[in-house]
Amino acid sequence: MNKNKKLILICVMLLVVSLSGWSRPSAETGVEEWQIPFLNILTGPIASIGGYLQWGAERAAEEINAAGGIAGKPVRIVSIDTGMEPAGGITEMSKLLDSALVVMGPVPEPVILAAVPLAAEEGLYSFTATTSYEYVADFYPWAISWFPPTTERLAPIISGWLNHIGASRVVQFVENYGVWAGMAKAHEQGVADAGATLLRQVDVSTDAVTFGPLAVNALQQNPDAIIFACNPQKIPSIINELKSRGWTRMSNLLIFSSGDAPELYSVGGSNINGAMIYNYVDPGLSSPRWDAFRAAYKAAYNGSEPPSLSPNYYDAVYMIKSAIEGAGITGDPSRLAAERILLRDYCNEIQNFEGIQFTWSNNHGYPKNKPLYLFEIQNGAKIKVLEIIPE
Amino acid sequence: MSATLSNYLTITAIFILCTWAIYLPYRMGQLHFMMIANMVISAYLGALFSGAVVSGSQVQEAINLNLHWPFILTLILGVVVSGLLGYLISLAIGDAPCFAVVIVGFAFMYLTKAIAENTTALGRTFGMFRVPRIVEGLSNSQNRLFLVCVCFFFVLLVGFWIYRFDKSKLGRAASSVFVDRDLAVSLGINVKKMGSLLQTASSALGGLAGVLYLYTLRAISPSFITFHNVGLFMTMLFVGGYTTQWGPLLAVPILWGIPLIMPESLQVWKNVFYAVILIGILMLKPEGVITRPLLRRLNNLVFKRRLKPAGSGKNLS
Repeated sequence: MNKNKKLILICVMLLVVSLSGWSRPSAETGVEEWQIPFLNILTGPIASIGGYLQWGAERAAEEINAAGGIAGKPVRIVSIDTGMEPAGGITEMSKLLDSALVVMGPVPEPVILAAVPLAAEEGLYSFTATTSYEYVADFYPWAISWFPPTTERLAPIISGWLNHIGASRVVQFVENYGVWAGMAKAHEQGVADAGATLLRQVDVSTDAVTFGPLAVNALQQNPDAIIFACNPQKIPSIINELKSRGWTRMSNLLIFSSGDAPELYSVGGSNINGAMIYNYVDPGLSSPRWDAFRAAYKAAYNGSEPPSLSPNYYDAVYMIKSAIEGAGITGDPSRLAAERILLRDYCNEIQNFEGIQFTWSNNHGYPKNKPLYLFEIQNGAKIKVLEIIPE
Repeated sequence: MSATLSNYLTITAIFILCTWAIYLPYRMGQLHFMMIANMVISAYLGALFSGAVVSGSQVQEAINLNLHWPFILTLILGVVVSGLLGYLISLAIGDAPCFAVVIVGFAFMYLTKAIAENTTALGRTFGMFRVPRIVEGLSNSQNRLFLVCVCFFFVLLVGFWIYRFDKSKLGRAASSVFVDRDLAVSLGINVKKMGSLLQTASSALGGLAGVLYLYTLRAISPSFITFHNVGLFMTMLFVGGYTTQWGPLLAVPILWGIPLIMPESLQVWKNVFYAVILIGILMLKPEGVITRPLLRRLNNLVFKRRLKPAGSGKNLS
């Protein structure tokens, strides 16, 4: 290798090293600016979800700053990528233990289960605003859950759907990924509650590329209703295989909430018209905040509807604002431990919090009155069929 | 000691052990990734036997062994089981060519991953968490300090063992296999036994790293088994230098440390950073930063010049 090439290579490497040497902005909260660290997934297999979670948090910060900030000071979301690796989650969390007032995330559950115990032991409150009660209950009061226990919330929507369509023999496509197996279990409870028969589960492997045999496996059990708890990209392909083998009752197909992602609609197109889907956000709702959020999301994401989880960290930032202002938190580093507890207790028992879609109250760190919706899909749009509000 | 510093130090020590686990079989030209599977197997064993729990919807179906083995017992268990697995596999692939060993390593990695992801007792895709502290009764910061000491104790111990190995007849025999297998055979070296020894040692080292990793993270999940981690350890070995044991000691602290201090805007580019470093090193110094000639030059610089009186003109060598 000649000298010039060597020189160029050395320059490239020096550039990388010098860029790496930039000091990382401190996660310390201060009175000049509220910094909220967000342990998110910005790279890896589900980075697209992390992308819109981040978008929601950033949007809330923009709105808050435009309206005068939190207690008169601007807020900044400090995005931190864990790459969906538990080790990365723990490493990043450990950097925040001595300085952060609160941490948003981590996401998703495998990282939560690795990193939140550390935060809980050190008295740092984690805003795990995508997860259900059972995944963070062990760390209460140092972690908030955004949803009640999975079975408690999903079983009613499944039984409601089955009663609505009048089906009695249900088969379920399940992919063993993250929380999906747990959600499938909750679906089973809903099937039992509706008095229907649950047929043999069809396992969808993570690396599956052909779905004909899976469709045959399901149809030979002669079901009259099918639930999908698998990757949103695979669901339209499975539906296609079912239709090519004579399935016509589209409303008897139910897609779970994690399937409510842009790829479901881009891959499915009109082929999934008539299928049902449940989730936690009603895009048809009309309120000034939601309309603005929806329009901004569509503008940012090429006309796509906001996915089910997109408002979670938007609401989380507003809840933190509410806690800081409501509990009189100053951001004074010398009062860090005490103010972490103030914020924690405020959020764990927050009452009548005005989220972007609905108002809810927390009891022991989790909400009991968040609604769940059942929609019919028509050309990428969702038409509301049922709304279940837990009692 | 702050959590950030102790985490950096413990993970650095563990990754040095991991990189040495790849270095050992590569002394005779075998890339043995089974150490990653062994790492995860020993971590799961440690989790099961130390009283860790599974989470979420799987709790009701999980098998609670109700065992609370202390750290040292889980460590011994992890090392012994991993070493045994490595030995059994080496009976079949002890003298296999590099490519076959790579394939076996990947096969074991994904077999382990599939078993863990589908076993409720192991927490399926979430894994196990709430691993007890290494010493109950100590505060968090004392525990962290203790763990750092334990990890570096093992780095010293294993490092000394590898140093002795490299300087021994066995080490030279491994080098000759690396350079020319046929020549090594003609010199009377038993390639299969040599492979068996190094693969077993590599697996046991993986087991050791796995238990230390478990007690550092206090959680284990199948998500540790990724190409990313294979790439990370390979980068650490090949950037540091694969011909001596000292390469990982230089590369691991730097390569693991630099992404941690990267500004947030560059975090998502850290894999690109690893790739640039690796490509750069492979182009500039294919044997890595620390090579045997470099060590010889350093040795001459530090020791022989002291022995040679200035201007004496007498050649002491």
